[in-house]
Amino acid sequence: MSSFKIDIREMSNINVLDLKGYLDAHTAPDLEKVFQNLLERKKYNILINCKDLTYISSAGLGVFMAYIEDVRKNNGDIKLSNMSPKVYNVFDLLGFPLLYDITKDEKEAIQKFTSPKKL
Amino acid sequence: MTTTPLSSSNKEKAREERFDLSALFEFSSVINASIDLKFILGHFLLTLMGKLLSLRGIVILERANSTFTVENVKGLPTELIGQTLKINKLTDRILYVDHEDARKMPWIRFFRDQGILILIPLTLREKIVGITGLGSSVVKKKLSSKEETYIKSLASIAATAIDKGIVFSQLKQLNRRLDSKVQELNTLFELSKEFNAIFDQERLIKLLLFSIMGQIGASRYFICLQQNGAMNVVTSRLDSPINPSLPAYFPTLSSPQIVELMRKQDRQLQSLLKEIGIHVLIPLQLKNQTVGVMGLGEKMRGEKYSQLDIEFLSSLGNLAIISIENARLFKETLEKQKLEDELLIAKEIQRGLLPAQLPNIPHFDLAAVNISSKQVGGDYYDVIPLGQHRYVFAIGDVSGKGTPASLLMANLQATIRALVPLGLSLGDLTKRVNDLICENTGSDRFITFFWGILDTTAKRMNYVSAGHNPPFLFHADGAIERLDKGGIILGIMKTIVPYQEGEVKFGSGDVLLLFTDGVSEAMNSQEEEFGEEQLQQVARACLHESAGTILSKIVDAVKEHSKNRMQSDDVTLVVVKAMDR
Repeated sequence: MSSFKIDIREMSNINVLDLKGYLDAHTAPDLEKVFQNLLERKKYNILINCKDLTYISSAGLGVFMAYIEDVRKNNGDIKLSNMSPKVYNVFDLLGFPLLYDITKDEKEAIQKFTSPKKL
Repeated sequence: MTTTPLSSSNKEKAREERFDLSALFEFSSVINASIDLKFILGHFLLTLMGKLLSLRGIVILERANSTFTVENVKGLPTELIGQTLKINKLTDRILYVDHEDARKMPWIRFFRDQGILILIPLTLREKIVGITGLGSSVVKKKLSSKEETYIKSLASIAATAIDKGIVFSQLKQLNRRLDSKVQELNTLFELSKEFNAIFDQERLIKLLLFSIMGQIGASRYFICLQQNGAMNVVTSRLDSPINPSLPAYFPTLSSPQIVELMRKQDRQLQSLLKEIGIHVLIPLQLKNQTVGVMGLGEKMRGEKYSQLDIEFLSSLGNLAIISIENARLFKETLEKQKLEDELLIAKEIQRGLLPAQLPNIPHFDLAAVNISSKQVGGDYYDVIPLGQHRYVFAIGDVSGKGTPASLLMANLQATIRALVPLGLSLGDLTKRVNDLICENTGSDRFITFFWGILDTTAKRMNYVSAGHNPPFLFHADGAIERLDKGGIILGIMKTIVPYQEGEVKFGSGDVLLLFTDGVSEAMNSQEEEFGEEQLQQVARACLHESAGTILSKIVDAVKEHSKNRMQSDDVTLVVVKAMDR
């Protein structure tokens, strides 16, 4: 059985989700629940730390697609950081780097959240 | 004092350096150390520009037959990259744009417009694979033959490296396509595994959509499924509402459609889809029947849907619809199972309420039967000894079927048994039973009910019928009495008009027949009822027999009448025969 875990850290204005394990069709609904909860609480600055994410499937990516619009509509963003090359490859294959802000580490992402947006 | 000759010799020297052989060698080692086409082209351009002191450069490569694509520019707008040119009949000589005949080579205008003056063909194995163009503010005249040779060598070294870069980038692309295919297959595999474990339609559809959003990048969608004969939108995410006439087009949709490429006759459908930003339609089919349709909006970054996308989506859709169908069947089976369990309980309750054994009543012969239908109706009969030669006979039919009917029946029996010892008149008792039932049930449930108290010494029965099928009393002289005195059906409303009591007397050989509408309304295959008349005829023919025989003859006749049909209602009969002294 694949395992998947989400830890949430609330930082000043940013919610950091630490994803661990396998994000696939089986576990995608878990992530969805967390997103739903964050949106209900009007938390729109979401940073996904992928350091311990071992695998992501299309269904997993779909969850990000399903929520990005709502988040951005509310002047927030879903940024991703600390991806392993294997996980990044899946994002890259499906063209996600053009849509999502993917940073090397958490610090860089947090800076982007806090510094005014450059267009 | 500096002199002109010296400075001119310096110039000469600088020029020599620029065209040095060791520089050629260095260029070769740098450019061949890389397999990155972009770097190779960039370095090549910069080197050439440096050698010829040019401010602008361009490289075009033949990507398809005679079609050249702009690959790299320096000092020119980057928008040029990706533009294509048709170029025919090239030779390997260096071309000077201003001196060529634009009538013979119309494409040369493109370079002229960009301020390119010199065109250097890139030759590999005697084939022109590309052209480098350079503009210049310094080189106004033709190159010397020495310079031409040098530049050609440079171009030749570059061509080899470029070729290597192209092969590598093709391999990279191929690899990426393979990776994408693997990713698609992974998605299909993962979903087929996951779908099999889910029996919840909502969750199935959610996973399907997640996978599509992730794989294809579409974020606008709808899914229609056939439900109870109509196509219903089960989920959607669109910017404008779906026109209600849209789903009507779907049952006949047999193949995937790219909205942009729809046939002329589908114009209407096409415009309905464009209204809501749908780019493709994927039919969801079971056994070649379209039972659902999935519509998807624009792909991520506005890319066009490819044939491969459509194939992938169709596979995914078919996988999903099979699982959705399985989920539906599973749910149906479960519900059926639940219903059957419930019926079993109802039957159990009913069986427990009916008397296990009829009492022995002096001077009277009794027989009774209840044959419950598959669905279990709410029939009830009872015989309760009261003492002092008195017996209560009751028969009733509770509306509805299954457990609720059984429970109401149990309620009725309990009420009767509790009230009878009060010693009130039957009319008063019936009023109380009715009021109690009314208080405890909704107005949608009711009971037709008949009961009588038989005095075996007086051979008399006082009775009340609350809207029940009137029992027949067959007198030995051939007369038939209908026991229809009483009042309103139980459970509809509280008693306003008191229940009337009737009274009948038994002569010897007289037979009382109590029955429910399962007997009189038993249907045959022509939708004809068994009927009271036939019931009377059958009974009359065997009145001389024992109560048990009369009962079984009636039951046989009813069964014969409805032999080709499933019994739809309970059949209940009570026969009470007064015997000779």
